Amino acid sequence: MFFHHVTKDFSAYVHGELSSEESRRFAEHIISCQRCRSKFEEIKLGIKFAEQLPRLTAPDHLWEEIENLRARQSVPVTQIVAPRRFISNWKPQLAGIAAVLLMAIGVGILWSYRTRPSTPVGPSWRVARLGGTPKIGSAGISNGGQLGVGQWLETDSTSKAEISVASIGQVQIDPNTRVRLVETQPTEHRLELARGKMSARIWAPPRLFFVDTPSAVAADLGCAYTLEVDDSGASLLRVTFGWVALELKDRESMVPSGAACQTRPGIGPGTPYFEDVSAAFRDALAQFDFGSDPATRKAALDQLLEEPAEARNTLTLWHLLSRVDGNERVRVYEKLASLWPPPKGVSREGILNLDQEMLERWKDNLAAGWAQRPLAPASLLDPLSRVKRFVRQMKHKIAD
Amino acid sequence: MAEQTIDRRVIADCQQGDRDAFRLLFEAYKDKVFSLAVYSFGGDKSAADDVTQQIFLKLFSAIGQFRGESEFTTWLYRLVVNACTDERRRRKRLLPLGETLVMSDVSGRKPQEKQFARLEISEAVQAAIGELKPKFRLPILLKYIEGLSYEEIATVLNCSKGTVASRLNRGHSQLAKRLSYLKNQTALGD
Repeated sequence: MFFHHVTKDFSAYVHGELSSEESRRFAEHIISCQRCRSKFEEIKLGIKFAEQLPRLTAPDHLWEEIENLRARQSVPVTQIVAPRRFISNWKPQLAGIAAVLLMAIGVGILWSYRTRPSTPVGPSWRVARLGGTPKIGSAGISNGGQLGVGQWLETDSTSKAEISVASIGQVQIDPNTRVRLVETQPTEHRLELARGKMSARIWAPPRLFFVDTPSAVAADLGCAYTLEVDDSGASLLRVTFGWVALELKDRESMVPSGAACQTRPGIGPGTPYFEDVSAAFRDALAQFDFGSDPATRKAALDQLLEEPAEARNTLTLWHLLSRVDGNERVRVYEKLASLWPPPKGVSREGILNLDQEMLERWKDNLAAGWAQRPLAPASLLDPLSRVKRFVRQMKHKIAD
Repeated sequence: MAEQTIDRRVIADCQQGDRDAFRLLFEAYKDKVFSLAVYSFGGDKSAADDVTQQIFLKLFSAIGQFRGESEFTTWLYRLVVNACTDERRRRKRLLPLGETLVMSDVSGRKPQEKQFARLEISEAVQAAIGELKPKFRLPILLKYIEGLSYEEIATVLNCSKGTVASRLNRGHSQLAKRLSYLKNQTALGD
């Protein structure tokens, strides 16, 4: 897959001009190819600009001038003067029958509108009923319906539904959930999850599908995940495949497969953690992320740094680097470096100064240990494993 | 006026010389044709005015030749693209400095950030579109102004679908580079 870059298909993919098989291949490639992903971001930006191109209005005098020119050029025009038939020509009894028929049709349409969800004008997503009677707006759907931009889909305690997200994936809506289609365009598809739980499976390139929640935005990076929002607006993201970015203003959490992350209104995304970390680690992280008392937060950080050496804790530690200051950042760095030393080109000083390039490089290096299966700490890897890992990395580099 | 009102009956009436049908056709397509012309002439609305008139005059006299073997819109846009290309060539021959002057007015200043600094996004996009070569500009106009599919664009431009995809890629890429300084504007942000 690495040898067949998809550069020629960028625009065609966004415009829905590829077959489903071609789209799938495109998405698979772009998730794993940094070069194509970066170029694709540029093309998407160009598309967003092109979409701003307004259609202009022709001046009013144009028709008159064309008529004058036609008259001068003596273009033969046969004006059709055949009289049109209007109601005034109808016999009175015929008009009466027509009026009754029109009234009957009107009543029928009204009845139909009251019992069926209205078909939205403009782009919409197909909704399939999985159980009970989910509602689009105030109307229940029996088999299926269309969710238009701005419309709410709501399930009660007995209903479930599945949304087809344009041609890029599916979202299952669990009971007691309320979602709204905010936007659907070739360059961006966006849902709002006000409360409840949804499970998404997206096979699109990164950053095409977004979910707004009261406390963060979930940006799909090619993945499968569940997102749950409670009545307070707090949410819990659990990623089962690929990556999801949780964002609020300048705060961002990158959540890989097997990891979870909580969010809180007014604070945004907390620090991500792998779901198999200890309960004590998880509790301490919640205290650190969302606690309001500085002393409690400091104690929570101490506890996080005292946890046994686990390579998978590096996900949390890497995120903590930019969320603590001064001596606390030094302690987090030391702990992280003891679990997984920074790669070549990443210095202690650079990390302590939050050099973005170095942070990203270390994160990319760490991500090898964030795979689904538990990994031993780097320091414990046997020489053969190290060689195997090195060969694997080189293969990827050469192929990419 | 909605484009959907233009059906085979209206076209047949136009072919019979029905003035009302012509008016219907004009109202349905005037904005699209005018927009294409404006962008093809680097924002020169006066030139676009002239060429739009010529296009509709030609349409009215040539509509008898439309046999319905292709979509009417495809046939119309081919007429528009050819008329714009011919007019550009004619103007280049007659006024060799004219077009250069219009383009240099926009592109002569450096850096590009300053070029469009005071323009709104859509104006900046219009200016950037005007700077693209016609072979990259036309597919973009046919896609975003006219809403044609790749196949329809290929028919209008008499090239393959692959060429359309490739030219759109190049056009999008050039737009992104020229307007990258607007990337963080809220209207375009994620």
